Amino acid sequence: MTATHTAATPAADSVVSAPFFLYGALQDEPDVTHRSRDLGVTFATPRMAMDRVVLPRTQVPPLLNVPLAEIIDFLVETGERIRDPKNPFVRDCIDRMSATHVLPRSVLESQVVGAAHYLDKRLLETVVEQNFPDPRALDEWVPKQDFTGRKSFVRAFAPRLIHVLPGNSPGVAVKSIAQGAMVKAVNLFKMSSSDPFTTVAILRTMADIDPDHAIVKSMAAVYWRGGDDAVERVLYRPQYFDKIVAWGGGDAINNVVKYLGPGFQLVSFDPKTSISMVGREAFASEEALDDAAELAASDVMVLNQEACVASRFVYVEADEADADRFSERLQARIAEKAAASGDTRPLDLDLREQIDTLMMLDDEFGVWGKTDGKGLVIRSDEPVDFHPINKTANVVRVDALDDAVKYVNVATQTVGFYPFDRMSAYRDRLAAGGAQRIVRLGEAGPSTIGNPHDAMYPLHRFVHWMAHEDGVAQP
Amino acid sequence: MSSAVDKLMRQGDAADRFDQSHADLRETQIAALDERFQERKDRIKLLRHRADEAGVTEIRGLADVVPLLFPHTAYKSYPESFLIDEKWDRLTKWLGTVSPYPISPVDASRISDIDHWIDQLQANGHYVSCSSGTTGKSAMLLASDKDMAWSRKDTVNVFSWGSGVRPAQDRRMIGVGATAAVPKNLIIADAQRAAFADPDKEPFRLPVPPLTVGTLTHMVVLRKKIADGTALPEELADFERTSKERQETMDKAVIAGAEALVRYREDKLYIAGMWNSLYQVAKIVRDMGYSAKDFHPDNCIYVGGGLKRAQLPDDYQEFVHQTFNIPANRDFQNYSMQELNSGMPKCQKGDRYHVPPWIVPFILDEAGDTLLPHESGEIEGRAAFFDLSLDGRWGGIITGDKISLDFDPCACGAKGPSIRNNIVRYADIKGDDKIGCAGTVDAYVRGLS
Repeated sequence: MTATHTAATPAADSVVSAPFFLYGALQDEPDVTHRSRDLGVTFATPRMAMDRVVLPRTQVPPLLNVPLAEIIDFLVETGERIRDPKNPFVRDCIDRMSATHVLPRSVLESQVVGAAHYLDKRLLETVVEQNFPDPRALDEWVPKQDFTGRKSFVRAFAPRLIHVLPGNSPGVAVKSIAQGAMVKAVNLFKMSSSDPFTTVAILRTMADIDPDHAIVKSMAAVYWRGGDDAVERVLYRPQYFDKIVAWGGGDAINNVVKYLGPGFQLVSFDPKTSISMVGREAFASEEALDDAAELAASDVMVLNQEACVASRFVYVEADEADADRFSERLQARIAEKAAASGDTRPLDLDLREQIDTLMMLDDEFGVWGKTDGKGLVIRSDEPVDFHPINKTANVVRVDALDDAVKYVNVATQTVGFYPFDRMSAYRDRLAAGGAQRIVRLGEAGPSTIGNPHDAMYPLHRFVHWMAHEDGVAQP
Repeated sequence: MSSAVDKLMRQGDAADRFDQSHADLRETQIAALDERFQERKDRIKLLRHRADEAGVTEIRGLADVVPLLFPHTAYKSYPESFLIDEKWDRLTKWLGTVSPYPISPVDASRISDIDHWIDQLQANGHYVSCSSGTTGKSAMLLASDKDMAWSRKDTVNVFSWGSGVRPAQDRRMIGVGATAAVPKNLIIADAQRAAFADPDKEPFRLPVPPLTVGTLTHMVVLRKKIADGTALPEELADFERTSKERQETMDKAVIAGAEALVRYREDKLYIAGMWNSLYQVAKIVRDMGYSAKDFHPDNCIYVGGGLKRAQLPDDYQEFVHQTFNIPANRDFQNYSMQELNSGMPKCQKGDRYHVPPWIVPFILDEAGDTLLPHESGEIEGRAAFFDLSLDGRWGGIITGDKISLDFDPCACGAKGPSIRNNIVRYADIKGDDKIGCAGTVDAYVRGLS
């Protein structure tokens, strides 16, 4: 998505301040201005003091010997403070963010508060348990002995991580902080130009609880323009960091890739497209059709279609007349949800152009709604070749869902399925094609706590697995 | 043809065509825009759609035209599957939505490939030129016989005005670029040759096979197959081999180009190419030990196209000029694009591109949907143009370029609108670094750029 028109608010031309957080210290001297081209907003950050963002390897990571239980308690308290409407840091953050974000203020508020629900004791414990066969390895050197009698100790040692954060979901900031804390890492968060605030607001909330806590001393959040050689050539080195945890693809990843090498690895959360598959059972009755359309619409509109889990292509097992009935109902529900969220962002010029063209080729394509940013559905016999975004869904008519499997590729993340009892019949083929999750239609958002993300258990990848060999046991 | 458009187009050959102020032209231009709109609105389907959506029935001011301007992407808005699956009948139908003249349906089963499809259309007076998008879709721009005739005349006028070279058929032509063999490029090359080449001196062309639309779109098709996961490893290996061979042929041809320049160094030359190829050839000529002193002092140079993201040293223009002894007052540059049918040559004294009376310039906001107020002086924004000379497609286009347009007289004396020599593409402006978890399979395709 490129320029938005909502940016033409009074705040558009003023400069918003975006401080840095450096391992417990706030740095708030606006010095360098950056332009968020997408949003037409300028924000000012401090000049980055490189020496202050790298903790030397001569120091053991501050969190190493803090028990996981204590870390989780601290995170839980952080969650409570984030949800507290009186929290000045979060309130201020939402004020600043609504000036720069593509999503409306109410959506942002509920996202930040909603994200704090991740900071739940049982949830965090479950995440750790799912990621590590033996979570004790985070707290201590776990003794091992193999069948030959050789003994050792293994530790999930605290890593040094750079997190390249995305800008499309404030919730990722909360999650990244929690995950970084639980693996006891030294964490440098590189914020995105469309959200240079949330991470710092959460870290300030944490410093407000205990400014000297090791967790606070393990976290830094700064901004530089992604791809800026002056910063990345200096920082992206194994002498400073073990791993770079990056979201996104294209230029964002290409820039990172050139710095990878021995000792400096990439853990990437790839850019993804999600889809839905709706079987012929949806046309068994009017109720079923309404139901399927409602479920599909709610998957399309996850985070107003800004997120990777949000569906963009809906494969429908139907003839053209039925596909059209479905499309009409789907569009009505997308438009309802869009109106309810107050999201009126217009479509990008190029997208509008492509859809207008399909409207004119009306013997082959069906279009419901207008290219006015209020919700739109295109029906076709093959997926359209553009990326449906901003409340736009493409209903692709297929004779059988088997024919839709070929459209699953390495970029496919979530497949929402209807009816639910046909999911098992498809999951192997979907996985073979590259997909990562199959869910009940309408449930693209929620997932079982601790489940793999992006085809991996991320926390397991984050840590520096260290072995202490201890000789052979005496018989 | 109607009166206001006629009146503006009649100035095609006038020596003082860049000398009428924006204020003097405005009334006639608005009348001409309305004429074009009235005669086309029921003939171009996309225009009809635009006009209905915006509720425009008449052009009374420039702002009325804005919702009717087509984004430059309009000419690549066809579904890619039409091209990839060779649905020539569908592609023809799509072309019909942007054409003011009816295009007879084609029988897809009788079309062998895209080059054949283009030939068939041309036989019926529809000239399709494609842009050379390598990784994305190619734009398909439709033109008529009238457009071809206009292009033939305009290109000579533009070059002559911008470079000060008179069309006296007294030069040896040396072409060092490999341009796509599309109707518009071919007609321009032909017109330039007819006007400037000495008929007794054999022109030199790079010894490379013509770059047809089929060659250009092959990469687009392959890219799609890679994304879909249907491209087989041998197919990719084959593509890599072909690319390597093509590059080797090109490298050899560039050397042959340099040798030809050295061979004919005493002739009065007309050197044509794109900056990238001109620079490569100049480098070889220098390495061979030749430079300005060895070349004719009245040489001239025709540069087509922009840099196309080629990485060249900052002084590439000086380097080329100095190598071939191009006099300072022969520095020819032209601002145009495939989407327009006329050029805007740069003057020597003011270093600005001049807009002719039959092109109406607009400065829009970055999003491209609002006309910025502009009565005098210079303002900056997204460039849009209406080329009133266009007959075979709608003349209004929103470009991807950021330009500075001045309504005040230029330092060269011309009083018409002019554009500062600092044009950039919005796509090339280092933007911010917004990333998200949502993305497409495009991020997973490697090796075709």
